[in-house]
Amino acid sequence: MTPMPTRTILLACAIVLVAVIAGAPFVLNEGILRLATECLLLLTMAQMWNLLAGYAGLVSLGHQVFIAFGAYALFLTSGWLEVTPIWVLPVAPLVAAAVAAIIAFPLFRLRDAYFSIAMWVFAEIIGAFTMKSQAVGGTSGVPLATSKLIDFDWFEPTMFWLAGGLTLVTIAALYKMMTSSFGLGLMSVRDNDLAAMSVGVDVRHNRFIAFVLSAAGCGLAGALSFMGNLFIAPLAAFDVNWSVYMMFIAIIGGIGTLEGPILGVIIFFGLREVMTGPLGLSGGWYLVGLGIIAVVVMIVAPRGIWPALRDRLGVRLLDVHRAAPRPAAAAILPGASERVTG
Amino acid sequence: MIWVETLINGALLGGLYGLLGIGLALVFGVMRVVNIAHGEFMVLSAFCAVLLSNLFPQVSPLLMLIPVIALSFAVGWLYQAAIVNRVVTSPDPLSPLLLTFGVSVILRNVMVEIFGADVRSLQVGELSRASLEIAGLNIGIMPLLTLVLAALLFMALQLVLRHTEFGRIVRATADRRDIVRLSGVKPDRVYNYVMGLSLALGAIGGVLLAVRSSFTPFSGAERLLIAFEVVVLGGLGSFWGALLGGIALGMAQLIGLKIDPNAGLLYAHLLFFIMLLIRPSGLVSSRV
Repeated sequence: MTPMPTRTILLACAIVLVAVIAGAPFVLNEGILRLATECLLLLTMAQMWNLLAGYAGLVSLGHQVFIAFGAYALFLTSGWLEVTPIWVLPVAPLVAAAVAAIIAFPLFRLRDAYFSIAMWVFAEIIGAFTMKSQAVGGTSGVPLATSKLIDFDWFEPTMFWLAGGLTLVTIAALYKMMTSSFGLGLMSVRDNDLAAMSVGVDVRHNRFIAFVLSAAGCGLAGALSFMGNLFIAPLAAFDVNWSVYMMFIAIIGGIGTLEGPILGVIIFFGLREVMTGPLGLSGGWYLVGLGIIAVVVMIVAPRGIWPALRDRLGVRLLDVHRAAPRPAAAAILPGASERVTG
Repeated sequence: MIWVETLINGALLGGLYGLLGIGLALVFGVMRVVNIAHGEFMVLSAFCAVLLSNLFPQVSPLLMLIPVIALSFAVGWLYQAAIVNRVVTSPDPLSPLLLTFGVSVILRNVMVEIFGADVRSLQVGELSRASLEIAGLNIGIMPLLTLVLAALLFMALQLVLRHTEFGRIVRATADRRDIVRLSGVKPDRVYNYVMGLSLALGAIGGVLLAVRSSFTPFSGAERLLIAFEVVVLGGLGSFWGALLGGIALGMAQLIGLKIDPNAGLLYAHLLFFIMLLIRPSGLVSSRV
């Protein structure tokens, strides 16, 4: 199988998806559209968490801090400049990325669980300061000051388009990245950092980039999520459940794969709609159910549902796994041993 | 004078914090697993103590510690045998982390659904208000007893690990899990006992903390973070370091509360973060 047809198929899929996202607001009602927006934003966040955990081997339990930074940055800048929030959206990922770049220095001294919990402590510290600071609304939070500039006839569709666009761009960019030498380096660090270092992969540098990108993506998705609510409060923004959701989605679907979080988000929202809708259970029981699924998946199929399915069915979608170079290709293309088939 | 009193009270609170950390440190030291659900198990033991003291109001709540400790040991044993042992040898160091985090989310939400999200506390009556007056300083009896108990437990744990056969087996398993099998030791079974012991120690900390301050099903995260900070501040694998780390955190918290009454744990967290920058290896960098 040559890479070309796969690429054509993916391109066709992308065009279809773009068309679906563009047309969906004209077909779906407002409630379903809101749910779809939420799904897409959570999918983006899960992909970002997965970039860090699944590819760079850093499990963050404090990723809510980037969501909060992005969202607060959007709310405050939009208030100061008095422009429609959509035009100041780029501020959100920039602020989140800048924060990540700064705290990477102390945090990267720690490994594994120590990194995870230190991230959580960092989120708690920032959350506590936010609640104390009256300038950002304290514990009661702030409404979106420029909400009067929003055209509410088109608000839900615009939010959906932004979320859909962000999701598609994220997945395409991650796919591209994972088939590049940077992605290969990242995965080699995850698999064996000592071996990766010995062949010249800059472990710290790769982890740093993944961390900053992951923070930026979460910042943007978080900003969009709170923009949809028109209101932000620290208890919601710094909620550790953001990390819980991202983690469960990635783990259940398949950590370290691009398809995994997509499957994970379907299970996540499917279960939520079934458990809190027809079954009439509370949000707490829903989290219990989700947690049980995650724990069972980790014990039975530690790589997640998607990799197990993929091996059984032989289906490959956005596969970025390394394939052994074929002799012919190796002869034609120098450096083909580094190639990745799609 | 008020500051000296604050420092002393901080040190006494630190004894309790040391107790929160010691269970986590034990599990980490023996099986290299950070049990993220440790805080939730502590809250669970506090709920058990509250339930028991509601059932038997005439018995002192502190005596409830005995059944709660026994129960926690059993729960820890089962938790390790049924869940954690399945990933403890996983080549991926992230597996136990993610798994125990999943368990913590399950436990927290089960507690919310069963016990409700109300604020609870364990009432011990007169004892919680009793205090000693030494050289003009007002020192609570309950915190003093807690610190003494913590120091005794630390000493006992150290003696058990150093000088008993069980301790030697645990240390050997911690060092080389594959080699101890040659001497007929089953590492998984050792882990079961260690997790039981860890949760039993956590139960003591959890119940005593519930006497001192109120709790909700969501308090587990807070307790885990304190326990973790205690362990890291004290230096990995050092039991006395954990006590020292607890005392430092307790002092930071109470001084912070004196300056800023609604600070909560902010200053303890800040101390931890700053120490991480200055001394990532901890206050005491020795091994037991």
